[in-house]
Amino acid sequence: MSEQTQEIRTPFHEFEAGFNIIIDLITPGTRVLDLGCGSGTLLARLRDEKDVEGCGVELDQEKVMRCTERGIRVMTLDLDHGLEGFPDLSYEYVVLSRTVQQLARPEHLVREMLRVGSKSIIAFPNFGQWKIRLEYLLTGRTPLVRTFPLPWYSSPDIHRITIDDFRHFISDIGGKIEREFFIIKDEPNPSIFLPNLRADWGCVQISAQHSNG
Amino acid sequence: MDQMGTVSTQSIQLEGVRLQSGIYLSPLTVAYETYGELNEQRDNAVLVLHALSGDAHSSGLDADGRVGWWDGMIGPGKGIDTRKYFVICSNCLGGCKGTTGPTSVNPATGKPYGRSFPQITIRDMVNVQVMLIDKLAITKLHAVIGGSMGGMQALEWACGHGDRLKSALVIAATARLSPQGIAFNWVSRNAIYCDPATPVKPDESNSGFYKPGRGLAVARMIGHITYLSEETMQAKFGRKRKLRDMDGTTYSLGENQGLGGEFEIESYLQHKGSSFMARFDEDSYIIITKAIDYFDLVREYGDLATAFKDITAKMLIVSFTSDWLYPTSMSLDIVRALQASKKHVSFVEMDLPYGHDSFLVPQGMPNMTRIVRGFLKGV
Repeated sequence: MSEQTQEIRTPFHEFEAGFNIIIDLITPGTRVLDLGCGSGTLLARLRDEKDVEGCGVELDQEKVMRCTERGIRVMTLDLDHGLEGFPDLSYEYVVLSRTVQQLARPEHLVREMLRVGSKSIIAFPNFGQWKIRLEYLLTGRTPLVRTFPLPWYSSPDIHRITIDDFRHFISDIGGKIEREFFIIKDEPNPSIFLPNLRADWGCVQISAQHSNG
Repeated sequence: MDQMGTVSTQSIQLEGVRLQSGIYLSPLTVAYETYGELNEQRDNAVLVLHALSGDAHSSGLDADGRVGWWDGMIGPGKGIDTRKYFVICSNCLGGCKGTTGPTSVNPATGKPYGRSFPQITIRDMVNVQVMLIDKLAITKLHAVIGGSMGGMQALEWACGHGDRLKSALVIAATARLSPQGIAFNWVSRNAIYCDPATPVKPDESNSGFYKPGRGLAVARMIGHITYLSEETMQAKFGRKRKLRDMDGTTYSLGENQGLGGEFEIESYLQHKGSSFMARFDEDSYIIITKAIDYFDLVREYGDLATAFKDITAKMLIVSFTSDWLYPTSMSLDIVRALQASKKHVSFVEMDLPYGHDSFLVPQGMPNMTRIVRGFLKGV
């Protein structure tokens, strides 16, 4: 049953910088929906540190059971099926951390996030980082790096996206970028020089354009 | 393995209950078991709701040494921890294990009701459970929890008695049975109609002495097919053949007079059917399956969101990937309606291969335990 699947994501301790950014962005006492919530680490911190009423969405059974054991409200749903059933604007924040690059239909889900949440926070690995570009150029093969650790044929990270890709994508679907953070070597920065070339991770807070947020 | 020790079924007498049909059913007996201690605040009670063929004996051993139907889940240190919770489980209205049902004596005739027992509903069953909880002087339950028909009752509890419970766990259930489910129940009842129990003395119907028919056994066999998954049947029985029948008698290949069964799956069904004949009443089976068929919150309230509008309890909906009788899509209908009415709902689809019965089989218990224990703690 619960076959010991390889831990495919960056372990939590390696993404603490990202989680700290997300936690800082979230207003205390709000409702937060965490998509791909894993074992509920972020939601547990939000509950304890920010009095947040959270709900997680996760497909992996072991992680769903962990969430339940930690008292985290959780739903077993496949994100590629969208957020059917979640009412419009029913959460102040919808979080998608380290997952967008794995979705079969990222556009569909991010549009759904804009529908369900007043604000959405998306963190993703940046494939535009200069070392990755250089290795790609020199070897002609898809580089294996900490943010994209598995070879293409066994990696869940099916989209090799860059920060500029993401900015264009949000603009194309009519969203608005409200805040941006970039992580270089586990250090979060609100603005850096040439982020698309230098950042390991991007973390973006977006809203629907018409919400006038 | 069992830590509950011997338990016994108690019963209380009530004046009667007004059924949804308008009929006043009186007198009324309710059989129930309790485990653990009710705390001083009287707020640690968990009501366990059994499925079609279950009864009040859900944990521990009865006087005959029979293990309760959810012994793996209920007990000291188990998923529903009897050191922490006061657990109540009652036989449902219309049942044949101590609560008033077709085998009870009709005071108007002095003979068992039999087929003349009034048609009851899931709501009637719940109303009787509410009367029991009143008698036990419990204002608010920590949780109600049930699978299959028990899950329907848990839903009915949450919709109709929101002020009486803090949480509801609805396992492998639906707000309305599918036509496929109704079809199987109909075929099961037809089996009973075709070979019913007959009076021992044909000229004395209603004498109270009946020779059971094979119809109930066939009904149970049909039921068992629907509770298992194709995968489980393949793994457990495959195409293996038995060379001995249930009594250990060897027999040649062939139908064995249609009694023993040749393939192992046949023997299994035969055994399940026969043992069910000995422990269940066919009129209870008819009445309860009809109550399951009738249960339809959509029809009752117009739509599910309306049905759920007064729910205040924290809800946990559980489905199983391999359950084709009460599939995940039906649980999702419940979940989405709860979401639409902004209720506190969790949803767990468990990846277990044992079909509709996944919540009952020992192999599924470790994962079920984690979910149930975790949710009850978080209420």
